[in-house]
Amino acid sequence: MKSSFWSLTTILIFIVFLFFMIVPVINLFTGSFQTEEGGRFSLENYHSFMKYPSYWRSFYHSVIIGLISAAGAIIVGVPLGFMVARWNVIGKPFIITLSTLPLMLPTFIAAFAWIILLGRGGVVTKYLEALGIQIGSIYGYPGMILVFVSQLYSYVFLMTLSAFRSIDESLEEASRSLGASPLRTFLKVSFPLVLPSILSGALLTFMSAIENFGVPMIIAQQTPNLVVKAYVEFTSEVGKHPGMAYTLSMVLVFITMASLIAQRYYLSKRNFIQAARGKPLVKQLSTGKRVAASAIIYAFLIFTLIPFFVALILSFMEMRGPIFVPKFSLQSYIYAFERSARPIFNTYFLATVATVVSVLIGVPTGYILTRRKSIYSNMLDVVIMLPFVIAGTILGIALITFFNKGWLVLTGTWMILALSYVIRKMPFIARSSASILYQLDPSLDEASISLGVSPMKTFYKVTFRLMMAGIVSGAILSWVTIISELSSTIVLQTPGWSTMTVEMYQGIISDDLGKAAAFASIMIISTIIPLIFVTKYFSKEQTPLL
Amino acid sequence: MSIRISKVTKRFGHIEAVKDVSLEIKTGEFFTLLGPSGCGKTTLLRSIAGFNQPEAGEIYFGDKRVDKISAHKRGIGMVFQNYAVFPHLTVYDNVAYGLKARKMQTDEIKPRVEKALQMVRLGGLENRLPNQLSGGQLQRVAIARALVIEPQVLLMDEPLSNLDAKLRVEMRGEIRELQRQMKITTIYVTHDQEEALSISDRIAVMNYGVVEQVGRPWEVYSTPVNRFVAGFIGTTNFFEGEGTGQEGLVRVGEVLLKVPRVIRPAGEKVFFAIRPEAFKVPEQIPDEERADLFRLQAKVAKVEYLGYMTKYDLELGKSLNAKMVSYDVLPENLRREGESLEVLYDPQRVLVY
Repeated sequence: MKSSFWSLTTILIFIVFLFFMIVPVINLFTGSFQTEEGGRFSLENYHSFMKYPSYWRSFYHSVIIGLISAAGAIIVGVPLGFMVARWNVIGKPFIITLSTLPLMLPTFIAAFAWIILLGRGGVVTKYLEALGIQIGSIYGYPGMILVFVSQLYSYVFLMTLSAFRSIDESLEEASRSLGASPLRTFLKVSFPLVLPSILSGALLTFMSAIENFGVPMIIAQQTPNLVVKAYVEFTSEVGKHPGMAYTLSMVLVFITMASLIAQRYYLSKRNFIQAARGKPLVKQLSTGKRVAASAIIYAFLIFTLIPFFVALILSFMEMRGPIFVPKFSLQSYIYAFERSARPIFNTYFLATVATVVSVLIGVPTGYILTRRKSIYSNMLDVVIMLPFVIAGTILGIALITFFNKGWLVLTGTWMILALSYVIRKMPFIARSSASILYQLDPSLDEASISLGVSPMKTFYKVTFRLMMAGIVSGAILSWVTIISELSSTIVLQTPGWSTMTVEMYQGIISDDLGKAAAFASIMIISTIIPLIFVTKYFSKEQTPLL
Repeated sequence: MSIRISKVTKRFGHIEAVKDVSLEIKTGEFFTLLGPSGCGKTTLLRSIAGFNQPEAGEIYFGDKRVDKISAHKRGIGMVFQNYAVFPHLTVYDNVAYGLKARKMQTDEIKPRVEKALQMVRLGGLENRLPNQLSGGQLQRVAIARALVIEPQVLLMDEPLSNLDAKLRVEMRGEIRELQRQMKITTIYVTHDQEEALSISDRIAVMNYGVVEQVGRPWEVYSTPVNRFVAGFIGTTNFFEGEGTGQEGLVRVGEVLLKVPRVIRPAGEKVFFAIRPEAFKVPEQIPDEERADLFRLQAKVAKVEYLGYMTKYDLELGKSLNAKMVSYDVLPENLRREGESLEVLYDPQRVLVY
């Protein structure tokens, strides 16, 4: 009866995801089992994958880089999370805001900036060489690990922080009262309780690292990972192997899916529901220790933000050929606006359209997940997890392949870009809506219905209004991350529908560094201003973006 | 508006939360569903409200069958356990919400909202937001909001359980008063037996999805139909004895106790219950009445003096204990621990199951 509206909505969302995501990905899957020419069933591609080092090494690079980055994020993020949670370090809200910035800004800006500083002929490299100090090459593994750890550590940091904050004080007191030392209490009580959060954060770092396209493309062309290899096989002008690209994509999907399932399995056995009565005490350090601890934290935060300062500074410098001259100039901006006004417009247009559509689909989805529980809502829950395991580049390849022919041709239009953004951001909006709804008392809806307002009107008059603040901040965060999206955009863009990230990426690889710096700066500003707005008006802590 | 519930069954998966329940509630009656948590009382109330769909049975408001009608079209007013006052609306807008939903004109809404707020003694707080109100005030807003639409049926789901003890007693008096004034048929859910006794015209005692007994407060208290009702409402002493073959005499351990009329063969098990206040001490009973009472010797194991009443734990025999309460005990009549005393009770007040 009353649920017919929601059943219909559930079915619609299913169809959207089925048609625009699952079917294209299945199409890739079947494509990976076909011969290049004939389309007959064949294991040829998988055979080549195992036979040729250039293929299987990309698998190896992906996994190793992902694991090292995750380990690095744990090494940095856990102590940092512990210090901010349990010590009276200075300016905690500020620390948290600074730590979310690297997650919001495009990682390949960081790769670009580190090359400017530490690459061949980099500013710092030259300076050190003049002093007789040789630093090793940043290209390849060292650079990727540097970028991923410094830009993605926050997943671990933020998760660990909130876990340490939510441990019930009395648990640690109980341990102490039973005669355990502070160290033993930490190792036997606190640490096991926060471990699931640490590993969840590490998984996010791992996923982001292996799904990344821009960073390895810029800084590690000699050690391409699966994403880069798939992209090259798919787009290369000589010797295209789309079938091989599909196979590499499937291998990557297999890794991400397996790690997600492993994490779910692990968490299902360690669901520590904590009814924290007393929040853990914050240890009051002596002034000296307090300043020292704070200094360490801020030094690290500033280190992670160096690339963005570098990009800002470079954007205001004069260019001579590919060389920056230390002289103030607006030349790069003028150049960027004159030659690439269209990509700037495209970026904002696509981000706005995709955000609006994501909200329109995501909010009702969140509602269905929490309030209309059924076997279908559980299936929906699984379906909206899928974009999380499908790297942007792979989604791009899937969409461009599937919508290339047939009755609905989207390849080459702006809609296919918007579509890929919606598929990737809508689950985030749905999840954040669901988490707000979990905190809203369902009897508010029922009170409205009992007063004679239909369920549908109740949703708009009560539920939606109460979710408004959360939806707006979720939408802004989505918008910001769409602006810096490169991995699917690079596959789906066409000359008419290029974006700032694409222009910037092309600027970097074609040594048009001034333009790249100018676009990087525009993007940094476009990210920071909305973020300041969000933190100012919706001061509640945001969960890290999935 | 009378309410008729006919053979309603509501399942959640394999669990039958409400089993084949039938009830008739009269127009203007204050009817309470009472039972321990998980007994199905809230599920039944929500079926009546339309927030769940029973698998079987029918629900009528007057002559109209409502169980297939959407909740928002049933014309009910509902008050929730956790108030459910809309946090984004002022007190005024909360109360006006249902009237606006009925497309009423603004000039008509205003006097009605104000009158409703006066009724619950919240006049002057129209422009407050819910986060500026106390728990008691929030519940008053919720009540005003439910009453202002002049529902034919008022449903209340443990409306007082989030309030502190003193406020609870005060509010239940107010609710009863409002209900009498407006003569609204009301179904009230609670797990608090004292609240149910004090507020209701009739009570349905529920357990495991089944209605065990329906009756006026004094009926369910003084003549509970089974051990569950006897145990749930008030405190009571349960005894397990065996027949002696003599009329009205049973043996519990080495002690002989008198029960009404029934003859049980020797050795047959008998369950019976005696309320603590049924036990008396001799000075409470005028001489001429003592003859009808059964008397036995006991020892005081524990005394709990509460001023207006005194609770005694008595030893009636070896490992046979009972609770007794005496009201208005003078200090000189107060028994001490370890003291022996004579206790009397009227066998007619013993309930045999």
